[in-house]
Amino acid sequence: MKRLSLFTICLIILVGSWVFLRFVVGGVISVPIPSSVIGMYMGLIIIAILVHISVEDSRFREFLRPVHETLIDDKRRIRRRVIAVLIPIFLLGYTYSIIAQRANPPGSPRDAHPSPPLELTYKDAVIGTMQDVVNPFRHYEKDDPEAFKAHVENGRRVYHQNCFPCHGDHLDGQGHFAPYLQPLPANFQDPGIIPNFQESFFFWRIAKGGPGLPAAGTPWDSAMPIWEDYLTKDEIWDVILFLSDYTGYQPRTFGEAH
Amino acid sequence: MRNRNVVSLLMLVLGMLCVLMLAHAQNAPEASEKGKEVYENSCAHCHGVEGRGDGSAAENLLPKPRDFTRGLYKIRSTESGQLPTDQDLFDIITEGMPGSSMPPWDTALSADDRWEVVAYIKTFYDGFKESETPPRAISLEDKIPYAEESVEIGKGLYVDLGCVECHGNVGRGDGTSAPTLTDEWGFQTWPANLAQGWNYRGGADTEDIFKRFIGGIAGSPMPAFEGDSFLHFGLTAEESKRLSELENKDEMTEAEEEESGKFYEKMDAAVDIALNRAEGMELSAAEQQTYDNAMKVVYEKSWHLANYVKSLTPEKRPESAIGNNVLRSQYVQGALPPMDDAAWETLQSGYFPVVGQVVIEPRQFNPTIDSVNVKSFYNDTEVAFLFTWDDRTQTIGDETDETTGKTLEDALAIQFPVKVPQGPTAPKPYFLWGGRLPVYLWHWKASAPEQVTELTAKGINNAEAQEAQGELQTQSIYKDGQYKLWVKRALKTDDKKDLQLEPGVFVPIAFSAWDGANGDVDTKRVMSSWYAFVLEPVPSSKRFIYPPLIAILSVGFLFGLRAFVQRRNSEEV
Ligand code: HEC
Ligand code: HEC
Ligand code: HEC
Repeated sequence: MKRLSLFTICLIILVGSWVFLRFVVGGVISVPIPSSVIGMYMGLIIIAILVHISVEDSRFREFLRPVHETLIDDKRRIRRRVIAVLIPIFLLGYTYSIIAQRANPPGSPRDAHPSPPLELTYKDAVIGTMQDVVNPFRHYEKDDPEAFKAHVENGRRVYHQNCFPCHGDHLDGQGHFAPYLQPLPANFQDPGIIPNFQESFFFWRIAKGGPGLPAAGTPWDSAMPIWEDYLTKDEIWDVILFLSDYTGYQPRTFGEAH
Repeated sequence: MRNRNVVSLLMLVLGMLCVLMLAHAQNAPEASEKGKEVYENSCAHCHGVEGRGDGSAAENLLPKPRDFTRGLYKIRSTESGQLPTDQDLFDIITEGMPGSSMPPWDTALSADDRWEVVAYIKTFYDGFKESETPPRAISLEDKIPYAEESVEIGKGLYVDLGCVECHGNVGRGDGTSAPTLTDEWGFQTWPANLAQGWNYRGGADTEDIFKRFIGGIAGSPMPAFEGDSFLHFGLTAEESKRLSELENKDEMTEAEEEESGKFYEKMDAAVDIALNRAEGMELSAAEQQTYDNAMKVVYEKSWHLANYVKSLTPEKRPESAIGNNVLRSQYVQGALPPMDDAAWETLQSGYFPVVGQVVIEPRQFNPTIDSVNVKSFYNDTEVAFLFTWDDRTQTIGDETDETTGKTLEDALAIQFPVKVPQGPTAPKPYFLWGGRLPVYLWHWKASAPEQVTELTAKGINNAEAQEAQGELQTQSIYKDGQYKLWVKRALKTDDKKDLQLEPGVFVPIAFSAWDGANGDVDTKRVMSSWYAFVLEPVPSSKRFIYPPLIAILSVGFLFGLRAFVQRRNSEEV
């Protein structure tokens, strides 16, 4: 059997990686990967290949040999002609598709977790500083499990009377209204949310809603309501207990590393 | 040596791919607990701890969560009056009930947990324990495949069987009895909009549809069309056709009277047998034969009917315009087409789903409007829009809300910012009728169907009609459960409070809609987030110049490269 040339191997690796990223990782295993990210990965792989072939002079020459042959060797005449036709046709189609492409609306970059204000307030009354305020019912978890359970149950009620159409019955951000909101409602089952923030942070987000976000969080787009208009302070603390109890994630407490 | 190199290169690339793959793999589903526990953790807040459908969330919901204590189940593979099979329950829990708040549990609960919870909800109704024989399944054996002729036959039956009275002429759920229906528990219920298959509770395959009217939708006013309630039960297809002919005559001759009398006798006999069978009596062989023959006709007709219903809905829910899809207005030369012009048919409409407004009190948890569909054309001076949306009832401001005393009517509002945000990070107005930054709105109401009012709003409760009403032209029509609204405006106006339009500029657009019959008024409504709208620029003529140029250049490059290599080669030799 004829050995594959180094050039062919590199070509196979390139095409194979692209197919793998585009269809296997971004299809079979997970959701599609954005083309810019695929581009970045492909760039890395090309660099790896370039480094590999240019380490030794002889290897570089071996790599170029098939290209060389195709260009001038008379035995490769047919291949040469085919390539001379295919490359211009491909470029013709490719540039046409780029120029004729319809413009898309500018994406709006959004920081999903912008920094909170320094002070935590409820309807203009200051509760304390964002760092120091703790959930007043959290201590029942150790001190009085029965009372704790009652608070969680109350949080469950608050949640199911107010939050589930967006954040979902399973707290996974997949309520029946969710797919049609932009940005999507938060997914509390995502390990990147509850464990990363203090309970005061969630109090702030729930009390002030989308409109309470700083500009980096695109407050004008978020459908997250301003709950201090409808819920009492205690109800907000209770629903936070429910979020962490149902998902099993503990919010960060002050002093832990970020 | 070379082999080792190739291997090391492969390893390098594979290693990188593995890292990338790990970064993209999704979380494995987490384990949860069993039976009662699963129920109390995932279902009780809607269905109630004791299965009465009275959980804490139920208050806000319509349709209400199922009351499990009555043994009435809508989505079954079993005959009318029978309990569902375990598989039916498992499937509905897995897939959820689209168009209602009953969520799918396919990802949130493991299959084991779903089986456990099936066993648990059965304990709420003793009938499950008492029934000795397994429920009778609806046979799907003699399925009639989807075909034009079958759809045609089904269409006739759709009228003859009275589906029209509830579901309306073309199935949008706008029949004359639609606003009067209540379910077994006394709550208002709406006939399904058959044009929106994605909202059918039990799926929109022909088999699903077939099962729904053979088995009925228990608890709902939708009758089961199995057996004795079926049109001309007991007659063959030809006999039934003949009887319809006779019944449609103004006057019958004596012979015809007699002929039809025979048909009625035959039908009565068949209905008696069906009733006996339903009561569990043993049938004689002859009776069984009569029954089977009658049912064969019923099943046949039902397949035609299922095929017809299937023809009313698109295969899938249209793709939402959220994300990259935008509302693109097409350029035309000359006058813009009026509302009923055929030119509109040439455009694909943008599908904009709307959801209940649950941000600000009073809220709408149970929307009846699914989406707004939009098409648009523009020319050098004007832009025209065609909005269509389904609404089962036409409410024109002659009804009032019982609790608030407010006038109820259907309406639509189209929202733009007053000033287009410059750049992707520039602030937009708040998506719910603005705030600090104002929005510019077109407000149409069913009570003044030929008029659109321009509003400026700085909040959902802070909207004012503009003093200077611009020259907006409007036409609208309500037909077969669907509104059509046509609006035309100049691209540029003199009014500073109006949005000014320019080709190629992306403009945020959002919608609010009100279904008066569903109690929508003021903030209680359906709404959308910001979508994007653009006057699609006429494609540039560059697309015919650059690509050929680049192709020619590339040929030149290839020849040059070959000449270069050849020269170097000869120099080397
Ligand atoms: C109308 C839909 C809607 C409802 C109802 C709603 N939310 Fe949200 N929520 C959102 C959206 C959309 C986001 C994401 C955008 C944002 O961060 O503002 C969000 C974000 C959040 C966040 C921030 C999470 C994070 O990652 O920082 C919290 C906490 C939250 N919601 C809690 C609640 C609670 C508690 C309720 C009920 C009392 C509730 N939400 C009701 C739509 C909703
Ligand atoms: C957010 C509220 C909600 C939750 C949570 C919920 N359901 Fe439902 N469920 C409903 C509603 C509403 C209906 C009735 C829909 C209709 O009639 O169209 C329903 C109907 C049902 C039905 C009846 C199906 C039929 O054929 O009639 C079953 C069975 C069911 N739910 C089981 C469950 C189970 C099991 C769980 C928990 C794993 C659960 N539901 C969680 C709201 C909910
Ligand atoms: C008395 C009024 C009434 C009549 C007559 C009626 N329906 Fe219905 N139909 C309803 C109602 C109400 C629903 C909604 C049931 C629910 O989900 O609770 C419905 C739902 C449906 C559905 C959707 C099932 C699903 O999975 O959600 C189909 C399909 C349907 N009907 C077809 C028909 C056909 C075909 C006929 C004539 C043979 C018919 N209906 C006659 C009232 C009626």
